[in-house]
Amino acid sequence: MVFSSTVFLFRFLPLFFMAYYLVPGRMKNFILFLGSLFFYAWGEPVYVLLMLFSTIVDYTHGRLLERFRGKKAAGYILVSSVVINLSVLCFFKYADFLIQTVNLFVGLSLPAPNLPLPIGISFYTFQTMSYTIDVYRGETKVQKNLLDFGVYVTMFPQLIAGPIVKYRDVEGRLHHRRAALTEISEGMKRFCVGLAKKVLIANNIGELWALISGMDFREISVLTAWLGIFAFAFQIYFDFSGYSDMAIGMGKMLGFSFPENFNYPYISGSVTEFWRRWHISLGSWFREYVYIPLGGNRKGLPRQLLNIFAVWLLTGIWHGAGWNFLLWGLWFAAALVLEKAFLGRMLSWLPKGVGIFYTAFVVLAGWVLFALDTPAGIVNYFRAMFGMAGAVIDREGLYLGREYLVLFVIAVLASLPLFGRLAARLRKARTGLGIAVYSLGEKAIPAALLLLAIAGIVEATYNPFLYFRF
Amino acid sequence: MNERKSAILTIVFLSSVILIFTAADLIQGDRLFSETENKLLASRPKFTWEALFQGKYTEDYEKYLTDQFVGREKWITIKTCTDITLGRQEINGVYLGKDNYLIERHLPETYSLVQEIKKISLLENLVQTWDADVMLVPTADNILTDKLPVNAPCYDQVSFLERVEQQVGAEHYVDVYTILRQHAEEEIYYRTDHHWTTLGAFYGYQAWAQARGGSEGKYDSAAMETITEEFLGTLHSKVNLNLRPDAIRYFPETVSRPLKVTYDLKTVRESCYEESYLETKNKYGFFLDDNHGIVEIETDYHNGKTLFVIKDSYANCFIPLLIPDYEKIYVMDLRYFNGRLFQFMKSCEPEEGMDVLVLYNCIHFLDNFTYLE
Repeated sequence: MVFSSTVFLFRFLPLFFMAYYLVPGRMKNFILFLGSLFFYAWGEPVYVLLMLFSTIVDYTHGRLLERFRGKKAAGYILVSSVVINLSVLCFFKYADFLIQTVNLFVGLSLPAPNLPLPIGISFYTFQTMSYTIDVYRGETKVQKNLLDFGVYVTMFPQLIAGPIVKYRDVEGRLHHRRAALTEISEGMKRFCVGLAKKVLIANNIGELWALISGMDFREISVLTAWLGIFAFAFQIYFDFSGYSDMAIGMGKMLGFSFPENFNYPYISGSVTEFWRRWHISLGSWFREYVYIPLGGNRKGLPRQLLNIFAVWLLTGIWHGAGWNFLLWGLWFAAALVLEKAFLGRMLSWLPKGVGIFYTAFVVLAGWVLFALDTPAGIVNYFRAMFGMAGAVIDREGLYLGREYLVLFVIAVLASLPLFGRLAARLRKARTGLGIAVYSLGEKAIPAALLLLAIAGIVEATYNPFLYFRF
Repeated sequence: MNERKSAILTIVFLSSVILIFTAADLIQGDRLFSETENKLLASRPKFTWEALFQGKYTEDYEKYLTDQFVGREKWITIKTCTDITLGRQEINGVYLGKDNYLIERHLPETYSLVQEIKKISLLENLVQTWDADVMLVPTADNILTDKLPVNAPCYDQVSFLERVEQQVGAEHYVDVYTILRQHAEEEIYYRTDHHWTTLGAFYGYQAWAQARGGSEGKYDSAAMETITEEFLGTLHSKVNLNLRPDAIRYFPETVSRPLKVTYDLKTVRESCYEESYLETKNKYGFFLDDNHGIVEIETDYHNGKTLFVIKDSYANCFIPLLIPDYEKIYVMDLRYFNGRLFQFMKSCEPEEGMDVLVLYNCIHFLDNFTYLE
């Protein structure tokens, strides 16, 4: 089930939350667990078993780690858990890709299993792995209650598109929690804003990318090519951060506090900064469980560079089983290495605008690699962007620019921290007028956004789910 | 305390938006058909375990829920208005043109040269075998160019038509484009529908008569009579805005003499107009009883001439104009015919031979024109 659908908004959501708030404390986890299984099984009636398998595997490994704490066996148990988790992930996500690659290079024609990817598998596998690793390291206590652990793994708000919630982020509230009224109201508002980001901005501007990405890149103008990649950049940002907002919002309504996942990434002055602001929960997962264990920056420069490349290769391939995602990861690794070497220091001498411009360029070029999955498509698109294909400006580009101008302006404004700051300032207002404006706005704006988003969902000409490859 | 009160208000306010529409949606019964959208709505899927495991049940259920959602048309209007506020000039494949014209969008990249050539050679074969005339009518986006949004992309049918003329030969080609362009300021296309109007068909008729060396003064456009002024067509269904409806007209000469019209070899009528359609959304169905595989028209003009028309829905308002020219007219819509075309044509052909006319709009031609010899 996806959030931006009538079945979620007008069947699952009201029914689930009514049940959740009505049952007494201890029953809440049971309702949450059942609801989450239903939510997942709606779209994945078979793979829900795989998720339960993952849950039981990591639960058992956690218990075993506790029993053999300090003994040599603990290491083997950890390895066993990591191997099982990664094997499941590899089998379902990378088998086709690996077999095709082997076939390509060795000249074989091994049959690919062609299994559809279980939605959200990359998210929940990373969550369960963080748990076992943390238990092994003694950074978190073992969870003895299977239901509580099941709730952590399967919890529907962040299940299919993140954020990746580490076990210790929610540990304290897993067994027993109470959502305060202020948390519930904050959560609801956050959900409405997230839904609006997805339906009103991402879906609409995504239509432009869908249109342009379907054109013949050998003929499009420079203007059209740049409009297209800007449109994709905004689509993926507002879609992804919208999903995170909805997840965080519903988390609050349940009484959890999930980590933030996006922090205005498009105002970053360097690629290093961009990755501290974009998909934060994934970046911190890789830092904590791959980069630092590999030695991070503590084993000399060559080793650090190697570690950076390893992490970004994995980050790339995490986003989908394809060569273009690998390239995408390496592209960022290259930029990060250059920034470590000298570029970062250079940028700090220059005005911030230069850094933002440079970052935008690296990120946009990255999106070309990310969004197009054939070598010819990528090459031709780059050629079009740099005037080696069609004209600089043509009627088509002018028309599309005019058609989407207002939406682009809105997308740019919403990518800046303006509205958030304005709200924060109004909230602190002490004058009667300020209080009135804030108090009215915080109710009316989310409600209006919600209504407009419902209209977009019911009309439903273009409402894609972008994370089916993650 | 104040913050708590404000939170309660927010919760009540936002959850009531969801709860009210959920409740209203649960109470509301299902509909079969949406008149305004002119489409069949999804109905409740039947539950089977197999459909569930294939993921088909949930998919169908979501479609059902969205199609039957309470106030569906109102929501679509809200969405359209939002789009217009955002400066969009194209909605759901329809350009919002000047003078309240809705114009269907046909993107250049949709139609490849390969497809054009394939269809043209199929046409050429028919023209060669039957000595047929070809009338391909450009769609509104190629004629009403002044009404399109600035720089709006559209598939160029002029160069396509040039290729057609070259291939089938000028003697078989009826140039409709030029005359329609000359009258682009008149109401030759409906504002809310993708068809040409009876006036447009009248100019088409003039081009046809001229090409055949006949007189062109048989009809007077001032004599047209209006049968309804309440027509909101297919393009209106796509944008669902509050628009002034179109008028549907016809030439009185076409009903002045008795007629026998046989639909699909069984239903017999005495007119080529069906007024019952004027009570429905699909008012263009007034002409020739909407679409049929084969229609046979026997006129009261006993000149011994027979015509065989292979056509799309554009022809429906055009064919009545041909009544005084023929004693018998066969009208074939290939979309509803599965047999061998040439065989069937031979069975219709009288001893003294018959004229053959291929009449489509360019887009329908490229999309649908196909036959088995």
